[in-house]
Amino acid sequence: MRTPKQTRTTCEARPAKRGQPIHVRIVCLCLALGLVGPAVITAAQEGDPASISAALALRAEALIMARCAVCHSEDLIIQQRLPRNRWEKTVEKMAHWGAEILPGEADLLVRYLSARYHPAAPDHLPLMDSELRQAETLKQEPALTGMLVGDAGRGAGIFEHNCQACHGIHGSGGMGPKLAKNPILKHEDRFWETVLRGRGPMPAWGSFLNQQDVADIYAWLMSR
Amino acid sequence: MPISRRSLFKALLQGIGVGLLVDQRLPVALAGGEEAARDDVGPFIARVTRPFDAETPVGEFASFLTPNDRFFVRSHFGPPVPELIAEANWKLRVGGLVDRPQVLTLRELKQVEPVTITAVVQCSGNGRAFHRPKVPGVQWKRGAVGNARWTGLRLRDVLAQAGVKEGAQHVQLQGADRPIVDSVPLFTRSIPLAKALHPDTILAYEMNGRPLPILHGAPLRVITPGWMANSCTKWLTDITVQAEEAKGYYMQTAYRVPVKSAESGGIATGASTPVAAMVVKSLIAAPQEGDIVEPGFSAIQGVAWSGEAKVMKVEVSLDGGKTWEPARLVGDDHPFAWRRWRFLWKATTPGPVSILCRATDARGETQPEVSPWNPSGFLWNGWDRVTVRVTG
Ligand code: HEC
Ligand code: HEC
Repeated sequence: MRTPKQTRTTCEARPAKRGQPIHVRIVCLCLALGLVGPAVITAAQEGDPASISAALALRAEALIMARCAVCHSEDLIIQQRLPRNRWEKTVEKMAHWGAEILPGEADLLVRYLSARYHPAAPDHLPLMDSELRQAETLKQEPALTGMLVGDAGRGAGIFEHNCQACHGIHGSGGMGPKLAKNPILKHEDRFWETVLRGRGPMPAWGSFLNQQDVADIYAWLMSR
Repeated sequence: MPISRRSLFKALLQGIGVGLLVDQRLPVALAGGEEAARDDVGPFIARVTRPFDAETPVGEFASFLTPNDRFFVRSHFGPPVPELIAEANWKLRVGGLVDRPQVLTLRELKQVEPVTITAVVQCSGNGRAFHRPKVPGVQWKRGAVGNARWTGLRLRDVLAQAGVKEGAQHVQLQGADRPIVDSVPLFTRSIPLAKALHPDTILAYEMNGRPLPILHGAPLRVITPGWMANSCTKWLTDITVQAEEAKGYYMQTAYRVPVKSAESGGIATGASTPVAAMVVKSLIAAPQEGDIVEPGFSAIQGVAWSGEAKVMKVEVSLDGGKTWEPARLVGDDHPFAWRRWRFLWKATTPGPVSILCRATDARGETQPEVSPWNPSGFLWNGWDRVTVRVTG
């Protein structure tokens, strides 16, 4: 059902804002993640922080929003401080219960969670730079949408896999609002904006779905 | 149009009252730096925003009864959709090994002789955050507990009406709450028949003299005095009398502790038993962590309770547990409620001071410094500790 993911690289494609050179911002991000620095990482910890770049960390954060925050908010996840084996077991259990994660995603999640939320990590981790997160998720320019032709049949499958848990079967509503016949469908730009960027508890899909995927979901919702 | 879970959730939050700190923005911010500051203020300390799990700041326990809108909130999937528990639709079904299966309305249940019981209700995971090595689960600290007056009818009266058949050993309890995805196991629990027939085990429809709030299980929840809250099923709809313990994750895997003490840091293996009775425990409600105390006399106060035995003694230590002095037990004394205690302390030396407390019950059980480690972090009852600063 899933379409091949676009490979995401973090920073190189984005113009630096506020005149800050990009490499400086990456360093800041790494610090914010707690992924570098001897105080945070000791040899005894199993998570290998070096294997997690800022790009992967952002992707993992996005995965938590999109794949995990379906049944419970992510505060339940990020309050844990667990060794890698228990993170593995937890992610396995969640997949068994219905978290829609692919094997590669599970692996990345476990690596990220055990690098950032390990037993020796402080209770209060520095926050991630929310501006960077926002910028990262908005890769796709809504302006380009006009040229895409959505395939409703394909959209049904993508919806089922990514959206149904919150928006209900056939988009009839659930923890998230009803989407079938939702007035937002009349404002395609707002639809795209919400889907790509997220809003409140609604995950940002910009780093998971490509434009064709979103156009397909849109076409399918319009047919409901 | 049916109300969605989301609007229900919002409505519920509004209903809880002022000052509830739920961050609607990126939840990553939630467990972040702001939390330390908010730990002891406001009516609630939210641990999980969805489904909503929150504990009571311990300062609230200076009063005997915990108000409904301050009482800790915990469920696995959040409250059921409102239509399911609306009085017009809601029914209690009693079946299984019974002679006369029943379908009862709330009205009918309210005609049965009412009883009121003051009882502590505590989450099995209260204090999980203090276990070392750390264990997964909601990271409750001290406030996933409360003491309230519960009014309802005896479970045994309902069972008598249905007629329990021979061979019955357990009573399965099912609420109307549902996970948002079917692949997640239901929260299905059972209690032994003996506990179900205990005269103080009730089905409550009132809490502190008010209709039971939705977050606390309206229209009907089980109260098993002396036992942990995992037996106190909320939004109760189905009682099934059966020969065996309930099946499923929340009975057979979760809410269990090892029979023999667990190897620290290990995972659950070997024989285990369901979490049932509470263990002896006490908390310091005042002063609070970080308080500034003037030199001279000041009162230290708190609460103490145990599962199925009376609290006999509460002691306070001001030297890290080397020596202990008895506190005075004060106020109401009911079998399953907590007991308040008070200790007059003369602060002298300026600087930080740690106040410790521990309770002992009628069976001679005393709170340990640190509770036995178990893989899911249940039944924490280590000494309570509050550090204050005495001014110069
Ligand atoms: C299909 C629903 C669902 C999804 C999706 C899901 N979880 Fe869970 N998760 C649960 C349930 C149910 C619980 C138990 C909640 C409770 O006890 O209140 C839980 C509990 C947890 C806990 C607490 C520890 C424990 O074992 O109870 C952690 C940590 C966790 N989930 C992490 C994750 C992660 C990481 C993901 C994404 C890979 C995820 N969850 C996705 C349903 C889900
Ligand atoms: C984790 C749960 C969750 C998932 C998964 C999810 N959503 Fe949402 N969505 C929400 C919530 C909650 C809202 C309401 C946001 C708010 O209150 O601002 C929402 C809002 C929306 C809106 C705006 C509706 C309006 O009335 O303005 C659209 C469009 C939307 N989602 C589309 C999608 C699509 C498409 C997917 C799958 C690619 C998806 N959602 C997946 C939870 C989710």
